[in-house]
Amino acid sequence: MSVEPGDRLPTLTVRITRTDLVRYAGASGDFNPIHHSDFFADRVGLPGVIAHGMLTMATALRVVTDWAGGAAAVRSYTARFTKPVVVPDDGVGAELVVEATVTAVADGVATVGIEATCAGEKVLGMARAEVDLSAVAGGAA
Amino acid sequence: MPISEAHAGRTYPPTAPYPVSATKIAEFADAIGETDPAHRGPDAIAPPTFVVVVSHHAWEQMFDDPELGLALRRIVHGDQKFTFHRPVRAGDELAATVTIDKVRVRGSADIISASLEVTAGDEPVCTAAATFFHSRETAEASA
Repeated sequence: MSVEPGDRLPTLTVRITRTDLVRYAGASGDFNPIHHSDFFADRVGLPGVIAHGMLTMATALRVVTDWAGGAAAVRSYTARFTKPVVVPDDGVGAELVVEATVTAVADGVATVGIEATCAGEKVLGMARAEVDLSAVAGGAA
Repeated sequence: MPISEAHAGRTYPPTAPYPVSATKIAEFADAIGETDPAHRGPDAIAPPTFVVVVSHHAWEQMFDDPELGLALRRIVHGDQKFTFHRPVRAGDELAATVTIDKVRVRGSADIISASLEVTAGDEPVCTAAATFFHSRETAEASA
């Protein structure tokens, strides 16, 4: 199968809870208290405990690695953290919806534009990944 | 002295070599909900953003630098760029070197641009750049 600009990747919907933030803090080593403590989040003026930007970014990239058949094909990845993902301690958490579209294909590299939204608001800006189509395992290329 | 434009160009020593275990890769994959079997077992490769594990060690040198007067809880990640040269593998010994590229002071906010080189021995693994927003103490609501 060939990869063309305009190709849409399968959408990913993920629920993020406080437990996920604690697990990511431990796995990544990012123990900034704004990602687990209401007290500190409030003190620095945030609307509540927020997800690590890098957790949102890592989760969003799963759309690309699922499509590319693995992590090894990803050559670059860029995003702006435009809006915090507030994760309430209510047993439900936040829902992240990730959509992605191939925006360009050149010299065997596909550029994928990624849109991540939470409660209908964009949480990542200018998010894009470059995928080496020659390194794609089975799936996309 | 708080952080200022004059700190642009400051670089920190490479972080202590971090031995990557297959167990840590699987733990990180679990934490981001990634189920790909390539991230499990003795020959595991890491998810691309795994490099944050060593990036934090490098960023902490900057965040904890007493001359800059930063506080982690008042730092928010603004943007992040990665260029991956090759996947991280179990058995790699990673080190990260951080450099402050640019500092902008806007009222009580500091905008810090920092670049990062992640290596395994002599081999480049990832080149990254990040922007952090830091609010000065005066901006923090008194408890």
